[in-house]
Amino acid sequence: MSNVIEQIESQIAKLSSKAVKKNTGTIRTVADGVAKLDGLSDVMYNEMVQFPGGAIGIALNLEEDEVGCVVLGDVAQLKEGDEVATTGKLLSVPVGKALLGRVVDALGRPVDGKGPIDAKETYPVEKIAPGIMVRKSVNQPLFTGIMAIDSMIPIGRGQRELIIGDRGTGKTTICIDTIINQARINKVGLASGAKDFRPVYSIYVAVGQKQSNVVRTIAALEAAGALEYTVIVSAPAADNPANQYLAPFSGAAIGEWFMENGMDALIVYDDLSKHAVAYRQISLILKRPSGREAYPGDVFYLHSRLLERAARLDGKGSLTALPVIETQAGDVSAYIPTNVISITDGQIFLETDLFNQGIRPAVSVGLSVSRVGSSAQIKVTKQVGGKLKGELAQFRELAAFAQFGSDLDAKTKAQLDRGARIVELFKQPQLNPLAIEMQAAILWALQKNYFDSIDTKQVVAAANSLKDYLTTRKADLLASIRNEAKLSDAIEAGLKASADEWKATFAAKK
Amino acid sequence: MRAAKKTKLLAKQLFKLSVVNGAVSAEQVAGVLGWVEKTAPRQPVTLLKLYRGYIAAEIAKSRAIVEHAGAVTDATLKMIEGAMTQKYRRVVTASAKPNPALIAGLRVRVGSDVYESTVAGQLATLSSAV
Repeated sequence: MSNVIEQIESQIAKLSSKAVKKNTGTIRTVADGVAKLDGLSDVMYNEMVQFPGGAIGIALNLEEDEVGCVVLGDVAQLKEGDEVATTGKLLSVPVGKALLGRVVDALGRPVDGKGPIDAKETYPVEKIAPGIMVRKSVNQPLFTGIMAIDSMIPIGRGQRELIIGDRGTGKTTICIDTIINQARINKVGLASGAKDFRPVYSIYVAVGQKQSNVVRTIAALEAAGALEYTVIVSAPAADNPANQYLAPFSGAAIGEWFMENGMDALIVYDDLSKHAVAYRQISLILKRPSGREAYPGDVFYLHSRLLERAARLDGKGSLTALPVIETQAGDVSAYIPTNVISITDGQIFLETDLFNQGIRPAVSVGLSVSRVGSSAQIKVTKQVGGKLKGELAQFRELAAFAQFGSDLDAKTKAQLDRGARIVELFKQPQLNPLAIEMQAAILWALQKNYFDSIDTKQVVAAANSLKDYLTTRKADLLASIRNEAKLSDAIEAGLKASADEWKATFAAKK
Repeated sequence: MRAAKKTKLLAKQLFKLSVVNGAVSAEQVAGVLGWVEKTAPRQPVTLLKLYRGYIAAEIAKSRAIVEHAGAVTDATLKMIEGAMTQKYRRVVTASAKPNPALIAGLRVRVGSDVYESTVAGQLATLSSAV
């Protein structure tokens, strides 16, 4: 009964006769989703402003005699002279586990038709990134499930790793594979009931993308059973630039909730090139001074303040960021790519040439780097994949020289053969991430020359056969690699016995 | 016509000349208008429109417009004047403006601030909360 009384009392409080103070202004002009307002003498920077008809805006330009404001909603019904009022609130979005499995817009409102979201908390969209003292160095791995990345360009929890490449080189695919891999790890980990297991929740922010692509991504995640661990923030190309500008910040706020509540989260910004374009559009309409390529002067700060929010916090959780940048004709020295490269802790560069040669994922080993991830790599991956990057670099160098002549000494030929096999082995179909124990087993077989006698064209088939063999017959061995995370003598003996047996059956089948 | 930067600056300077002791001086405004007529600066219409905007905003800061649905007594207006004068630390004069759409209560507007204590306002808050 007391609950009912409380409800009535709160209703009375709402209807009390106390005067409410509002700071108001009027619309001077509205154009391209941006309104110029008179009045609003008390408005704060980034404060939400209430327009007639329920639309809200954010005050972005505070000038001497006018306020520039982006409108989040339908601008068609707004007209000159309409009254606007301050709300005293900064823009916030709903956060929490209730958002998992849902698709929301830049303001956190559901757009998937699955009904309202029962979120208990909201977080401000703009927030100062965690400071130095509360941070902890990156030393826990985040497995992407892509062998080329996990073995050579490892990513740690709390890291910012840029995915960069031309259009159609598989940037989004890497991100989706990573999300699917987190879901698979979560399922295995949660089912095992291990006390120290920390699931990774994912946030996928789609900025300026075609709606059909977003739908395809959602379908892929749903089919892989990953949607239940994922929140999708969608600001597609049809959305107004203000929503496209805000979406990554809303996604970061959703991710921060997981981080600050002792959980681990992964956020994908797909992509920040389009985000910069949306911000440029808003800035030009707001008549802010433009700089290089007509981007405003604070476009670096736009991305640095966003990506600095990814961190690993001492005693709490982590937020790992995978920003995506689309290059034009492989030009990584353009304005936005260089900005984001300098902000992040490494980059995975995808090459069109490799993609067209059928090497997928088209990771350019020479140009890709992970600055902090190696300290997060588990021992078994270091043991089996430590020399791979060097071997591949050597292969690329030799391959370039080998094109000019046919007379090669035996050592060079062996290095070329081995390199070609590594390249084949790293080919991986999309939406099919590999568990880290399987990657370790395959790389161990490569290290111990089990693939040397196999024809280069047969390496992919051989690797698939090894995977099938280990999955169906040696599940306990894989489990012990996963649990021990290092190559002990017993595991190595088990791997040797298994590889010998597999090799014999594979040779017999041929 | 879009105001040039110089025109905006000039309008601002003329406005500053028109304010004496924190209030708009009618004498100064007349002087400014005379000067504009005599010297014919660039973009005179735009200049005067900007100047008018600044002056109107300044005057609005010293005026409390009391919108009401029922009757408002002189004593109430005096009370509002006193309270607003104290709050804004400048002389504020109140004027009544009937507005039946408010249903009941008062809405006081001083500059860009609005103090609302009306039934219409409460109903609007309630409808947005539901």
